[in-house]
Amino acid sequence: MCASVKYNIRGPALIPRMKTKHRIYYITLFSIVLLGLIATGMFQFWPHSIESSNDWNVEKRSIRDVPVVRLPADSPIPERGDLSCRMHTCFDVYRCGFNPKNKIKVYIYALKKYVDDFGVSVSNTISREYNELLMAISDSDYYTDDINRACLFVPSIDVLNQNTLRIKETAQAMAQLSRWDRGTNHLLFNMLPGGPPDYNTALDVPRDRALLAGGGFSTWTYRQGYDVSIPVYSPLSAEVDLPEKGPGPRQYFLLSSQVGLHPEYREDLEALQVKHGESVLVLDKCTNLSEGVLSVRKRCHKHQVFDYPQVLQEATFCVVLRGARLGQAVLSDVLQAGCVPVVIADSYILPFSEVLDWKRASVVVPEEKMSDVYSILQSIPQRQIEEMQRQARWFWEAYFQSIKAIALATLQIINDRIYPYAAISYEEWNDPPAVKWGSVSNPLFLPLIPPQSQGFTAIVLTYDRVESLFRVITEVSKVPSLSKLLVVWNNQNKNPPEDSLWPKIRVPLKVVRTAENKLSNRFFPYDEIETEAVLAIDDDIIMLTSDELQFGYEYFNYLYTYKMPGDIKNWVDAHMNCEDIAMNFLVANVTGKAVIKVTPRKKFKCPECTAIDGLSLDQTHMVERSECINKFASVFGTMPLKVVEHRADPVLYKDDFPEKLKSFPNIGSL
Amino acid sequence: MQSWRRRKSLWLALSASWLLLVLLGGFSLLRLALPPRPRPGASQGWPRWLDAELLQSFSQPGELPEDAVSPPQAPHGGSCNWESCFDTSKCRGDGLKVFVYPAVGTISETHRRILASIEGSRFYTFSPAGACLLLLLSLDAQTGECSSMPLQWNRGRNHLVLRLHPAPCPRTFQLGQAMVAEASPTVDSFRPGFDVALPFLPEAHPLRGGAPGQLRQHSPQPGVALLALEEERGGWRTADTGSSACPWDGRCEQDPGPGQTQRQETLPNATFCLISGHRPEAASRFLQALQAGCIPVLLSPRWELPFSEVIDWTKAAIVADERLPLQVLAALQEMSPARVLALRQQTQFLWDAYFSSVEKVIHTTLEVIQDRIFGTSAHPSLLWNSPPGALLALSTFSTSPQDFPFYYLQQGSRPEGRFSALIWVGPPGQPPLKLIQAVAGSQHCAQILVLWSNERPLPSRWPETAVPLTVIDGHRKVSDRFYPYSTIRTDAILSLDARSSLSTSEVDFAFLVWQSFPERMVGFLTSSHFWDEAHGGWGYTAERTNEFSMVLTTAAFYHRYYHTLFTHSLPKALRTLADEAPTCVDVLMNFIVAAVTKLPPIKAPGGPGPRPKPPAPAPDCINQIAAAFGHMPLLSSRLRLDPVLFKDPVSVQRKKYRSLEKP
Repeated sequence: MCASVKYNIRGPALIPRMKTKHRIYYITLFSIVLLGLIATGMFQFWPHSIESSNDWNVEKRSIRDVPVVRLPADSPIPERGDLSCRMHTCFDVYRCGFNPKNKIKVYIYALKKYVDDFGVSVSNTISREYNELLMAISDSDYYTDDINRACLFVPSIDVLNQNTLRIKETAQAMAQLSRWDRGTNHLLFNMLPGGPPDYNTALDVPRDRALLAGGGFSTWTYRQGYDVSIPVYSPLSAEVDLPEKGPGPRQYFLLSSQVGLHPEYREDLEALQVKHGESVLVLDKCTNLSEGVLSVRKRCHKHQVFDYPQVLQEATFCVVLRGARLGQAVLSDVLQAGCVPVVIADSYILPFSEVLDWKRASVVVPEEKMSDVYSILQSIPQRQIEEMQRQARWFWEAYFQSIKAIALATLQIINDRIYPYAAISYEEWNDPPAVKWGSVSNPLFLPLIPPQSQGFTAIVLTYDRVESLFRVITEVSKVPSLSKLLVVWNNQNKNPPEDSLWPKIRVPLKVVRTAENKLSNRFFPYDEIETEAVLAIDDDIIMLTSDELQFGYEYFNYLYTYKMPGDIKNWVDAHMNCEDIAMNFLVANVTGKAVIKVTPRKKFKCPECTAIDGLSLDQTHMVERSECINKFASVFGTMPLKVVEHRADPVLYKDDFPEKLKSFPNIGSL
Repeated sequence: MQSWRRRKSLWLALSASWLLLVLLGGFSLLRLALPPRPRPGASQGWPRWLDAELLQSFSQPGELPEDAVSPPQAPHGGSCNWESCFDTSKCRGDGLKVFVYPAVGTISETHRRILASIEGSRFYTFSPAGACLLLLLSLDAQTGECSSMPLQWNRGRNHLVLRLHPAPCPRTFQLGQAMVAEASPTVDSFRPGFDVALPFLPEAHPLRGGAPGQLRQHSPQPGVALLALEEERGGWRTADTGSSACPWDGRCEQDPGPGQTQRQETLPNATFCLISGHRPEAASRFLQALQAGCIPVLLSPRWELPFSEVIDWTKAAIVADERLPLQVLAALQEMSPARVLALRQQTQFLWDAYFSSVEKVIHTTLEVIQDRIFGTSAHPSLLWNSPPGALLALSTFSTSPQDFPFYYLQQGSRPEGRFSALIWVGPPGQPPLKLIQAVAGSQHCAQILVLWSNERPLPSRWPETAVPLTVIDGHRKVSDRFYPYSTIRTDAILSLDARSSLSTSEVDFAFLVWQSFPERMVGFLTSSHFWDEAHGGWGYTAERTNEFSMVLTTAAFYHRYYHTLFTHSLPKALRTLADEAPTCVDVLMNFIVAAVTKLPPIKAPGGPGPRPKPPAPAPDCINQIAAAFGHMPLLSSRLRLDPVLFKDPVSVQRKKYRSLEKP
């Protein structure tokens, strides 16, 4: 014990001096604890990224292990697709009834392997693309794993390519799905329909009422408003990275890159090449490629070898001819290259044609006019061509690029049909982002002249200058077209004067008390405003003759409160200034137009108001106002204000004309 | 004793650390040792397959047979589509030419007037051989008079059968390959891209002009009923917003909610109008709601919406599923005021552009078919769906919206900063030397064109100017003044008469004003129209008054597009009228611009100097034009746009346009 005391005198120690045996024991214990803690800490923080990824929540299994389902030969087959199906007849919308976010819920059946009585499999279990597609749906907001809440069901039976499956058995497999119910609310994805010799344009598998998202529909098989036309995915999209090439003239005017064309079409194309020479290029498969070169990625013209799809970027227009099927994967390659597709496939329903405006990105030419293609294309103005090139690339980026993009666009279209009031607009589907930002859309797009009979509402913002306020009220009330007067009482510490004290005027007068002294209160859309035109005036402007007015629109009042970027509103309230500049910014930003100045006024202020009294008069005020403009411009991101050199005067203003014949003789008299 | 206490605290610290270690480490170890089980309730998702990389692609390259056979042609029997049943080879050259079968026997007044209206339009041709579309009117259903098989029928190829009213004649002949334009076709019989869906017009629909939209108040108003319900027996009733009960369910009939009112014949003042989608008769209600600015809410429509091929109805109406009443009601209640405002304005625009008269409906039908023929040079969707609409924005002028003056703002483009002066020299034919100098002095002037239009020979010498001067030896027709000459390359045109006199700064300032209002006319001399009670017609005055509704084109800025519109969209009769009565041309041009912009022209300072007043046009000129338009598009203005410091008592040195103030 003494030893420890002695040690203690020498200074503080972590471990008290004791018997060596004990000491080693303690040190070991401590180091184990320390190591353990460090290890735990490392474990907690370091491998976090792996741990939190989905892999931990999702089963990790092999496709070979999926359960096998044996289909008896006599199990039921669904009826053939019903051509008269529409959303209101074949789709059970009640299942989609409880979705506050206006988003459908999609359920995916678990993957199974189907075999017939002899154990022979019905189809390839799943293709790479279909696996990707289901994964994209499962990762999206649409997905639900609760079969009872689902509104749309997606079977995991892969029917992307009809040639890889046995039709009757696949149909039987569909029919035994747990919620099949004649295919109601089931969605099938198919990109390569039909088979030799007649190549139907829709999936041949009997599917009863199921919706079909198909690539290669024709007008004869497509059920408008029920089916969804989707692109044929091109696996090259993922393999090849074609950087975007700006619009503009390219080496070849017209290019055909498809192999396996019908000989008749090839003859027509080659005739074009003979006629127009260098500007037309017709490519075919290469016959004499050396071993190991991927033939899919090469195209040949005579002995010249071209890289595919890179060669597409050298052409302005690219032919997309139908083959045995109407839908061609080359359409996707062409769009990716920013080449304008010339679609020659009669009665083909273009991908997502329900929402995409293909006129802006493609040229559709009837098959019988194939020999005129060149002259048809040449009649298109250069600017329109460049617009189409941009649009083509944008369509690819937004809706063709990946299986995921295709799947989500399909679900969005179905979602928009079920909740049409929350649907995505034409502009959102079709305008490239650059256009969406660049344009100004005035919320009041109809040419509007507020009816004169309606008059205007005057809004006076006041704090406590009652005397001055009363004079303004009396003056304004003389204006014939005034229909209502609204006083915004911005003083919380003081009550407005009693009713009996207010001046007697001929129009209704209403006093609104505000909760806080804010200048923004002037632009609040009060329920009391019933007219379209609003006159906003200050309480210190007393020298109005009854003809002089400054108008804003009630609608912009609404915008000021609800659409104004938040920090500007705060800034205005904090600095007690500039609310009028903010309003000017807003109106200019929303309409894209300049404001209009009405009538000359030199002395807007009352002579007796001193510089101390008037908020807007002193010098610091002006400095602050310049600051405002800079601040607002940075918040809006641009300078929406426009400079104009005109102002509005009455027609005969200051003309050499008898005064008594003029409508507004009082203007400018001061 | 002390050391014992220390050791105790040491022990405590040690055991606490151990406990911590066990707690933290144990959990981690547990997680490592046991395979993760999906927790019940957590989203499971599609499994990530271990062998996903090994999966094969759905299509193998080169899978298609080399000599792919052509797919069989579609069955031609029952159905038709555009490619298979319409022969566009006849439509080469100048677009759509329409032949109308003349009426046989006695016809109604409406039928006669519709025929006359088509014959006066720019689509008409008198020979069936040269026509690309043959139009068969099937109108007089109520009189029991049915058209018989016409001569050039040819199995209906390139024919359009126009049925304005439903309940048509029993089919006296097979329609074959003819297109059908009929009111509210059912979705099942309608062939998209081939047939045309028309609106369901009431019997008394005006032939021409037509009443404007009835919406007076654009901004959202408190205290207006949310819903008006269309009744099966005709008429409307309103429902309160607050009632959460299903407003159109059968049960509500017996138990009217607190806010429901009695049935009324006229359309009540409501924001949304619910229209049943089952009965085609309800389609007439649809048009009524559209005119009133009551946003139509269509419940599971079984009929095709009018002109759905080109009109984006999602911008003006709401299509909803009747099976989800509560969802729809909630969506209507929560709709933002901005969206309501946009929808309402769109109803007014669509009504006015395509539906307000029979003539507009027919022209729209023909325009839809012409767009199919045009292919790439058809109207883009934007032109159909924003004011002034495809009938007034000609796709022959341009297919890019940014070329039209009324889409500048929307497209983020702006007019060029230069103008072309077009000086018309009529009789007596003095070369306007002073005027040329004044205009050429403007910094914005790009070129001067002189349109020599009188009997005297062209002078050989023209003054030297800083800008190129072109002389066009015109015909002697007044309407040539508004021909879209290919030599005019600027957006703005300053139209001048040789006798007008302007100063350079007047021109400069007026051009700046025009740049702010590129879709309107900016002029110096004004005149106005008025209703003449005594004669029961419109009158015209060039007196200086407090209002004006027209600017004279003897000195006015406007967009180049109006030349195209003047030459290619006006009925032939009106252009002949302008040629016969030359002073009429001013009125006509003002009518066109006002019909497009729905706004009055703009007056700039300058103009009325000591010069002779222009002769007033023939008194009935304005009445004839108004009759041809079917309504009076002119609007009055009291504004004049002056320079900011105009005639203000400040130093002259501070003013930019000093010379404007000289008397």
